Amino acid sequence: MQKWTIRLLLISISFFLFSCKTYQVSGEKLEISNSKVILNPYFSNENLDYVYKTHIEVYGNDLSGIFVAKKINDSIHRVVFTTDFGNKLLDFEISNNSFKVNYVVEDLDRKLILNTLEKDFKLLLKQSFVVDEMFENEEYYIYKSNAGKRFNYIYQSKTDDQFIKIIQTSKRKEKLRLNFDSKEGKIAENILILHQNIKLTISLNKFEN
Amino acid sequence: MQMKQISSLVFLLFTTLFFAQESKMTAAEITKFKSTIEKETKTIKTIKTDFIQYKHLDFLSKDIETSGKMTFKAPNLLNWQYTKPYEYSIVFKNNKVYINDQGKKSTVDGKMFEKINSLIVGSVSGNMFDDKEFTITYFKSKEFNITKLVPKTATIKKYIKEVELYFPKNESTVAQVKLIEPSNDYTKIVFKNKVINAKVDDSAFTN
Repeated sequence: MQKWTIRLLLISISFFLFSCKTYQVSGEKLEISNSKVILNPYFSNENLDYVYKTHIEVYGNDLSGIFVAKKINDSIHRVVFTTDFGNKLLDFEISNNSFKVNYVVEDLDRKLILNTLEKDFKLLLKQSFVVDEMFENEEYYIYKSNAGKRFNYIYQSKTDDQFIKIIQTSKRKEKLRLNFDSKEGKIAENILILHQNIKLTISLNKFEN
Repeated sequence: MQMKQISSLVFLLFTTLFFAQESKMTAAEITKFKSTIEKETKTIKTIKTDFIQYKHLDFLSKDIETSGKMTFKAPNLLNWQYTKPYEYSIVFKNNKVYINDQGKKSTVDGKMFEKINSLIVGSVSGNMFDDKEFTITYFKSKEFNITKLVPKTATIKKYIKEVELYFPKNESTVAQVKLIEPSNDYTKIVFKNKVINAKVDDSAFTN
């Protein structure tokens, strides 16, 4: 009986230890000044219309359409999704601390969908990050920025300073990942939004002018 | 600027405005227009045309432009194909919607967009005069006969405030379609290089 108890205890301890493992970046920690802020170059030009072809894969369903974002003032972006035919599906205004839906078609008008998109696009369109910790490895400078119960890790390439990816985590694991692919570092030509706990992937490919 | 130039400029502006203006058709004109369209639509077996689609969103600095080709075969085969800036085609056949998205193929029953898309199908062929679904008004300008369709049913009203169809004078098919949303943002589709009743194989509608 005692043997079983010990075994069970060992299992639960190891389970406890395993599940409590905090999210870690591979890299060495660097010293930083207190007030370091880094700016996101993407979606930052108020004079540009950012227009992308978009694919949304959600639980095996495939949606296609057009994604548009525009910075309309210092803090707010306007975002619109349409079908390929141009019918508006979703229209919202978003900032660090606000999310106002101007229009949504009935089929998308679900709290879960809107909450998820709100989180995704708050991160995608976030213009600046306060750096709380900094790391480096061979390829990247990695900036950790605290965001309430979550943490954002911004990966900047050492070779050309470009924003390559942003990973949002809880204390323990990755929740959301944004991958950027950019020619010159000012506009991201291809963007991939990947979720870890729901089967949702959004890809954005910029219109060629 | 000299006085003469100013006056000619004003004259030009005035006349342009004047001619661009549309006026309502009279009852007799409406009857004639409708019967001509209905009669000529019956003779249409196929349509091949290029198109440019302009999506106007008020907050953008310019319209979003996409373009491609459209093939229609009576009574209900349609291939709507975007070629710029990306490849995407959608085929309507046997009440099903076949999509080819840059090589990725799928089939949908398309409840969500079927109504709107059938609006486009109907409008290209000019076969739109459904008084049950729409309140229709008729206008004319120097270049066009214009029909304006306001949806009657609540389901369509949510997506579309008004559809405007521009028929060039003496033509029975549409040269321009404007789908206006409740927010007043709109999609404008302009057709170019249209060929009526060219030979079209059914294989043009595989996706």
